[in-house]
Amino acid sequence: MSVADRLPEGDAERAALLGLGLIAFALAFAASPLTAIIPTGLSVFFEVGVLFVVYGILVLGLDLQYGHTGLVNFGHVVFFAVGGYTVAILAAQNSFSGTSLGYPWPLALVAGVITAGVVGAIVGATSLRLRDDFLAIATLAAAEIFHSVTVNVQGIFGGSTGILSIPRPIRTAAGDYDTMMIVTLVLFSGLTALTYAGLTRLTDAPYGRVLRAIRADELVTRSVGKSVFTYKMQAFVYGAALAGFAGGIFALYNGALSPEFFTIQVTVTVWIGMLLGGASNHRAVLGGLAVIMGLRLFSRFANDAVPVTATEFASLRLIAIGMILVLVIRYRPAGIWGDPDELGVDS
Amino acid sequence: MTLLDVDGLEKEFGGLLAIDDLSLSVDRGELVGVMGPNGAGKSTLFNCISGVVEPTAGTVAFDGEDVTGEQPEVLARRGLVRTFQHTRQLDTMTVRENVRLAAPNQPGERTVPALTRSQGMQETERRVVERADELIEAFELDHLADEYASNLSGGQRKLLELARVLMLDPDLLLLDEPFAGVNPTLTNEIADRIRELNDEGMTVVVIEHELETLTALVDRLVVLTQGSVLVDGDPETVLDDERVVEAYLGE
Repeated sequence: MSVADRLPEGDAERAALLGLGLIAFALAFAASPLTAIIPTGLSVFFEVGVLFVVYGILVLGLDLQYGHTGLVNFGHVVFFAVGGYTVAILAAQNSFSGTSLGYPWPLALVAGVITAGVVGAIVGATSLRLRDDFLAIATLAAAEIFHSVTVNVQGIFGGSTGILSIPRPIRTAAGDYDTMMIVTLVLFSGLTALTYAGLTRLTDAPYGRVLRAIRADELVTRSVGKSVFTYKMQAFVYGAALAGFAGGIFALYNGALSPEFFTIQVTVTVWIGMLLGGASNHRAVLGGLAVIMGLRLFSRFANDAVPVTATEFASLRLIAIGMILVLVIRYRPAGIWGDPDELGVDS
Repeated sequence: MTLLDVDGLEKEFGGLLAIDDLSLSVDRGELVGVMGPNGAGKSTLFNCISGVVEPTAGTVAFDGEDVTGEQPEVLARRGLVRTFQHTRQLDTMTVRENVRLAAPNQPGERTVPALTRSQGMQETERRVVERADELIEAFELDHLADEYASNLSGGQRKLLELARVLMLDPDLLLLDEPFAGVNPTLTNEIADRIRELNDEGMTVVVIEHELETLTALVDRLVVLTQGSVLVDGDPETVLDDERVVEAYLGE
């Protein structure tokens, strides 16, 4: 019996196995005295790679809310930020700006997830019973409010300097920078794979059927006995808590946080990734995110080849991304890998 | 024994009384038709009973308990299920999924059993799949089982809606114009199905415009005009009633 025969059947199980494997490998590598060296010039790929898998958790959570349940959340970054800042404030030690309480980081990470979930529940409670667009407004507003709070309440959030001296457990375990980057990328990929596995199980189960029914027609779903509000709340809170987790691990990887990491740009990136790939399909949204982040990465190199300044180039990049989005919406409204029937769009 | 008891029901929409002091009771096992001219309040009556809108005054009792203003999902779980005048199907789901969705008591609709793929969820789902396929076959939709509901014709949508509500095995079924926009052959088929369900013990209330099918089908006919009951009796007596002729044809 070969190894391939012993692999589990389902998508979720394979992803879970992959996730656990990656995590085990990363932990073993970090604990071992082995070190690795990233060739010069390639470290940018690792940086973007780490950001991609962190945003991967964001896009998977957002897709549970929007792609599966039809909840329009235009402020996903707020849950990412709440998770990040909770971890930073609780775990940072003697940061010279903001509050740092110095609790153990695992505790802070759990608190980050819970806090983001609670904020999700509060935002959800204000608007999930109302018409769809109210949630869009409430989430957008929540993100803007939290952003300006982090900038202005310096005593707690450290203003635009942010919070420094957050423990970096992977850095500590791995030793040097290059090894840390590799371990982080592998470990976080494992965590994203586990998120993928869990959400796939959820959406493949009758649970996901109820979510998709809510997206299609709330009244029908209620009239066959499903408590629509409860499901909307759950999907929203799960997405928020996942974003909080992503924020937490990002804080523990980066070692410092400031408002510039949590601008509306984050929300825009995950939304474009989700729509580009195809909502309601876990693989597609990760694929779409990879396309959009890959494009950003390669455009960095492209800048060297064209005779324009960095600022001009940034604008050109935005135009290019806008064009791609227009083309996708025109010719593949369900996204590159999305299912038009599933999403109810004509193509 | 009374299964549904509507007493003194009133529903006002911006100064207009859509339902005006309406009282109606349905016994267990009955097959009752509700008819009336446009705007008589038929659909509003269903909406009030099934919890889609809250009545302004009056009470709705189901199976001996006051359920006035109760949420539709709670009523559906208790056994009071309705269909819609303009069929509502879940367009972005297949016929199979549309029907399976309605299955009651599926533990896999909760997070933890869904994540762990619990034994209970898998066993229930096996029964759900079987039952849904039976219903899809019974309504002759099996060749469309994997088709998205948006691709169905009007008549097929009516059948799908029936299959979906039957998945809940309701005690009281409220059908809002099940024959509207359906060809005569299919109308007869649907009528036969309703008759069968009733013979098996299900209590059914049907709203319908089409007089002929309805009078042939039901045991009792209730005629509404201007939000209240005009006549309530067996079909022949009701149709001979002068007030009914007036309400429908004018004086």
